[in-house]
Amino acid sequence: MPLVNNKVGNDCTVGTDKTLADGKDLVESVIKVVACYRHLAACVGGCTDSLQLRDELRQMREKALNLAEAIRLHLTSHLRDKSLPEDQRKEMELLWVAFSSSLELLHVDMCKVFSMGDNFSLANTASLVQTGLQGGGSEVAARALSLADLNQEPPTLPAGLESQERSTMEQEISQIDHMIDDMEKKVNVLRWMVEPRGPQYADPLSSTESASLALLSIDEEQPGHKPLCQRNLIFVLLLLFAVVLVAATLSVCLVLFS
Amino acid sequence: MTIRTARPNRAQHFQPRLYCLKKLESILLEMQDTKSGVKGTEQKLNITTIPHVIAGNDTIAWISNQMKTTTEEAQAFGTMLVAYGYIYPLQNHKKLVMCNDSSLYRFQTPYFWPTQKWVPDDSDYAIYLAKRNIRKKGVLEPYEQAHYNHLHEWLNHKWDFIVMQAAEQYKAGKERKKPDRVVFDCQERAYWMVNRPPRCAHSAMDCGPERLIDPNTDEKTTFDIYRRKNMFYQQAIMRSKVKSSVSLGALVKYITTYKNHDPFLASCLPSNPWQTDHDAYWTLNMRRVEVPTKMRVERWSFSLFELLSDLRGRDDFKIFLKKEFSGENLAFWEAAEELKWGTSSSMSTKAETIFKTFLAPGAPRWINIDGRTMGLTVKGLEHPHRYVLEAAQTHVFLLMKKDTFFRYLKSPTYKDIQKKALNPEPHNFSPANLEQNALNRSPGIHPIILWQQEEEEKAKAAAASAPVDVKAMMSKIDRKK
Repeated sequence: MPLVNNKVGNDCTVGTDKTLADGKDLVESVIKVVACYRHLAACVGGCTDSLQLRDELRQMREKALNLAEAIRLHLTSHLRDKSLPEDQRKEMELLWVAFSSSLELLHVDMCKVFSMGDNFSLANTASLVQTGLQGGGSEVAARALSLADLNQEPPTLPAGLESQERSTMEQEISQIDHMIDDMEKKVNVLRWMVEPRGPQYADPLSSTESASLALLSIDEEQPGHKPLCQRNLIFVLLLLFAVVLVAATLSVCLVLFS
Repeated sequence: MTIRTARPNRAQHFQPRLYCLKKLESILLEMQDTKSGVKGTEQKLNITTIPHVIAGNDTIAWISNQMKTTTEEAQAFGTMLVAYGYIYPLQNHKKLVMCNDSSLYRFQTPYFWPTQKWVPDDSDYAIYLAKRNIRKKGVLEPYEQAHYNHLHEWLNHKWDFIVMQAAEQYKAGKERKKPDRVVFDCQERAYWMVNRPPRCAHSAMDCGPERLIDPNTDEKTTFDIYRRKNMFYQQAIMRSKVKSSVSLGALVKYITTYKNHDPFLASCLPSNPWQTDHDAYWTLNMRRVEVPTKMRVERWSFSLFELLSDLRGRDDFKIFLKKEFSGENLAFWEAAEELKWGTSSSMSTKAETIFKTFLAPGAPRWINIDGRTMGLTVKGLEHPHRYVLEAAQTHVFLLMKKDTFFRYLKSPTYKDIQKKALNPEPHNFSPANLEQNALNRSPGIHPIILWQQEEEEKAKAAAASAPVDVKAMMSKIDRKK
């Protein structure tokens, strides 16, 4: 985890570019972990809830906390540096806002998982809600955690360890709480001055995948009318186009050979 | 400075109606039990099957069995479960009702259950809408689009984060198997349908104002509670009581008198502006209208209080009193009102003028009140406060009520205005007309213009009632000659 304390005068552009890139990477990875955590948290209490899920959640929490600590030190030290040039400061502030928002999301998710863990204990599997999910969240966890984390042995938890896990969770929640408070006290980022660089609408990803998902979900409502119509239309158009092409080549051949 | 939008409700405010939801959760857990709960089947989509689907009629039958109620009540209960978001419909996701047929439903995951503390957050909603947009551009409904634009303005500083988080959540979702992805999408969609309902949809989440006390916890009975209870009951004993037959009779009399004038119970003529967007009703009933409406004039006859509260009625009453040369009572009453509602800096001057004009022996407009009240009032005027004329004002009001008011109702002034009063025809608008009216809504007369008109009228009245300047009159007459 590179903590660059570059306060050298002349080299500062090179140094801070690297620090900016580092900061961006860290913030992106934290956002990824928070997104995956939310996916997994939505499974808690449902029929796919298991020791493995809870364990994966725990691992993701740890990773998120480590990343958060690193980013906090990185950004705090840079934003408190008065000699930071203006555009670098703006970039840092954007990262700061993104980081604090992801911390808040993580905090909410952690508190929700904590309170749901209270209500849905794994010992009583009959009370887990039949939500229709079938797979566990291992693929999502794999996306967030690195291979090294995943290769750890899933621990065989005796009954008493669940309460220990809960107290660890409480500590982690209060740790994030303090982190947010601490950050706000140390660095004063004015939210209304921060301007986002990105677009208003996220770019739609590749159309084929999105179309297939759209098919699946629309299916539930109208039994396949709309997408079938679209498919039919495309086929007809292609057919027409092919026919026109064939007719054109035939006429060209006629002209040439007559 | 913190703008912490995602903080939990740390027991500062409680939404009172939602606390009953905790009791629902136990029934829900029973319902989804594989052995003794509602029978679950599978849902066949294009390529996949998704388990744990329940049918509407099965659910309602189970509820009526379990809770030993009728089918209608079970259906209502089921509808509430859907409306609060514990169960979501698969086929018509926008209509949150439980139908007693084979329509399909599924249980919502506990993460999305409506518990009291987790307010559905705006940034979460923004992320959800951004995700929907990533999946297929332009798929947002108009109201969702409006929300999205509003959130873009409001959460602008976080927007990069929101877009990035939406992209990450979407990519993470793609890692899952297709049926799970579909289920998760349906769950999220159902959650936001409950918590951000479309316009003009009934939402179960409408709750009243937030309370400062947690309705779940029992109040600890301390010594202070008993002390306050004692005080309350002692005061209640000392209050004067009226027999319920008497008070109910008064209520019935009130209702029979006012029932045709209530805009909820009877249609207001010509038409209710709030319903038809046509403001004829307001323009006909303005303060200084020449000819009032029949309903207004009828209302003046109910009591002196109604007559005096309506300023147009007060004007009419003044005209009548001028003819009878007994305007000093009303003038005194008005002056006392001005003292009550006026500024405190002007109170002493007003009190002076009132004393000189109405109460001093030999005053120009001396009012006839009994000796005791007069003594009290004069004594009070030495140190005037807002309510110093209260006793005298009440006395004068009663005088007017018992004597002058009934003469007014029988007078030619009142009968004249009754005859002249307008009775507007009720409007009959077609839907196209209503649309037209809605487009033609105007902001109405600016209050500053109304205020200026009032000031002009007051100046005119003051000039008219000022004591005649004899010299000026004489000089005018001379000039005429």
